[in-house]
Amino acid sequence: MNARAVAAWSFACLFIVLFTTNPAYKTAVLVAAFVTLATTAGIRRMRRLLIAVAVIGAFDAMLNFVSAHLGRTVLFALPDSIPGLGGAYTLEALAFGLTGGITIAAAIFAAAPFSLLLQPHDVMDALPGALSRTGTAIAASMNLLPLVVTSFGEVSEAQRLRGWRPRGPRSWAQVVVPVVLTSVEGSIQLAESMEARGFGAATRSSFQKSKLEWQHWMVIAASALAVVSFIAAHAMGGAKDWYAYPSLTAPQLDLPSLVACLLLFTPVLMWPRD
Amino acid sequence: MPSPVHPGADVAARLTDLTYWYPDSALPALDGVSVDFGDGITVVAGPSGGGKSTLLRVLNGLVPHFHGGRIAGSAQVAGMDIVQTPTRSLARTVGFVFQDPELQAVYDIVEREVAFGLENIGFPAAAMRDRVDEALVQAGVEHLAGRQVRTLSGGERQRVAIASVLAMRPQMIVLDEPTSQLDPEGSSLVISAAIRMSEAGRSVVISEHRLERLMQVAASMVVVDAGHAERQEPSTWRPAGPSIDAVRTRPPGAEAWSLSGVTAGPARDAVLHQVDLGGRRGEVLALSGPNGGGKTTLLRVIAGALEPLAGTVERRPGRIAYLPQNPTALLHRPSVRSEVELTLDRAADLEDPKVILRTLGLDALSERYPRDLSSGERQRAALAAVLPGRPDLVLLDEPTRGMDSFARTALIRLVAALRDAGSAIVLATHDSELRDALADRVALVCGGKVTEQGAVRA
Repeated sequence: MNARAVAAWSFACLFIVLFTTNPAYKTAVLVAAFVTLATTAGIRRMRRLLIAVAVIGAFDAMLNFVSAHLGRTVLFALPDSIPGLGGAYTLEALAFGLTGGITIAAAIFAAAPFSLLLQPHDVMDALPGALSRTGTAIAASMNLLPLVVTSFGEVSEAQRLRGWRPRGPRSWAQVVVPVVLTSVEGSIQLAESMEARGFGAATRSSFQKSKLEWQHWMVIAASALAVVSFIAAHAMGGAKDWYAYPSLTAPQLDLPSLVACLLLFTPVLMWPRD
Repeated sequence: MPSPVHPGADVAARLTDLTYWYPDSALPALDGVSVDFGDGITVVAGPSGGGKSTLLRVLNGLVPHFHGGRIAGSAQVAGMDIVQTPTRSLARTVGFVFQDPELQAVYDIVEREVAFGLENIGFPAAAMRDRVDEALVQAGVEHLAGRQVRTLSGGERQRVAIASVLAMRPQMIVLDEPTSQLDPEGSSLVISAAIRMSEAGRSVVISEHRLERLMQVAASMVVVDAGHAERQEPSTWRPAGPSIDAVRTRPPGAEAWSLSGVTAGPARDAVLHQVDLGGRRGEVLALSGPNGGGKTTLLRVIAGALEPLAGTVERRPGRIAYLPQNPTALLHRPSVRSEVELTLDRAADLEDPKVILRTLGLDALSERYPRDLSSGERQRAALAAVLPGRPDLVLLDEPTRGMDSFARTALIRLVAALRDAGSAIVLATHDSELRDALADRVALVCGGKVTEQGAVRA
């Protein structure tokens, strides 16, 4: 997998899903991103991500449904006297909320290949020389994150067995302080190790340069074409925007814009399968 | 005292009247050190907190360049002035392997990790693959080239760290207690790798507490104590005397805890399968076995920190003292003494904190900030933090990690006293001396199974 090709595809997905307000195109991008991930990473590896996306998307949709008492198609109403919840619950608010949920889900799926399909070194190899040192430092610090999580478990367990019990926010200092100190010590040791191995001694070379094969070029080209054609379609009056209020209407579709979205399926054909 | 000349072929590094103060410290960590490091293996020995790690860090310039502080005297390696040359520039000449295998890796894949140093010095990409392959072979880890670093055992990680410095073809390789966190097999492989490096003509400087095997091949020895360094002939070294036989004063009592058909593991992944085991008051059970075999999981189940997936755990009510594998997990108070006081307060125990501080040789360190201590001293501070008073159940995970022989002896005495006072004790340890001195029974924990090795002592 090539990080530059992944970046191009992710950018195209994010651009279209954030550029348009039309839920039809957003859904097309969502499906493209989901199918790409499912075929390349596999559903099993996506399990946690799917749960997170479902929870966040549903929360966003419900939040709008509950808080935006706008629109003409009233499904039911709660008394205004109920603080925060009272008012009319409308089909329009539900549709607008669902569109927001689709946007968030598509954006998460579009960015997910960076964690599901790439290793940190893939990203570092793809960085231009000027960013190589910064990228290395960031990648090294990312290696510490699992240690912080482990450290939190170890410290809270050790303190519980030593008689500590959580009693209010201040009591957590006895867990948080050692975790923070341990993390800082870990960072210092890692920095010491990097220094001892010549980090910063010279302009870095690379063990493995990011190489673009024809499949990667195809994905980059398709992604670029998707963005350009979607913008062009919009400029020529296609790719119409959509707004749920005041009365719900069906989103309009036009073929060139839809084809632009379909180009985002290209990685399904080009990237290795799970 | 050596003469101030550039080190020649037989002198890889030379420190002359070197004194070093850490930042904000009035007392020097190294005090007037004059010592040469020659070809072959130089063993750096001495008590915990004596200055071994500081001395080793001088050799590649981490002291003073990374740690700051003040330095006086001169230090040279391969003709370069260490005080004037930044560590990153010395990296080609001096390779350094640290104590903790988990905090050295930058990359996620082994071969990339080995190439990291070469990338830093701008080594030509075309020749890098051969260098990496060569280093992997020299460290005996060529079969791990494509593996993810996080999936490796501690011993494998340390050998990858050795490969990483070998790739730079340094003239000198420094190893700071590289086996302190490894099981016997992992330790043996790392020591073998160090011996191979010296046979290949490199100067190897290694700090260790377990010296038996190294002393058979050491060309020289430097003893560091209280900031002073002294060269000694390896032939004068003698193993520590016979270990203390902690004779019990009363027989074990009633059952204190038991596991019956226990299957357990973190994140609902079973690490232990169908374990039946128990321990009595006034008894020491030692758990042995390789890293990753399930010893820590077993201790956590006995402690009640991990619920079993199946089976039952029974414990008599009472205070549990648990030393985790990472002792820093415990330490957060401003002084060693306040760590002890915290535990005694929580246990409503009236024992004087001085008792355990004296027993573990921490009198002089009682007002020090625990995280400023050396790794061996920290381990003792953590023991002092969990073991004061009269705990009913004592669970210690690798309690002698990084400890010198004095501290080990103190620990043996303390555990024996707790045992005789009626505490049920479980030790997870690779330390055969500790096992021999204290264990009434030994259980082998390996591959998720627990096998009793029978009674060690009547």
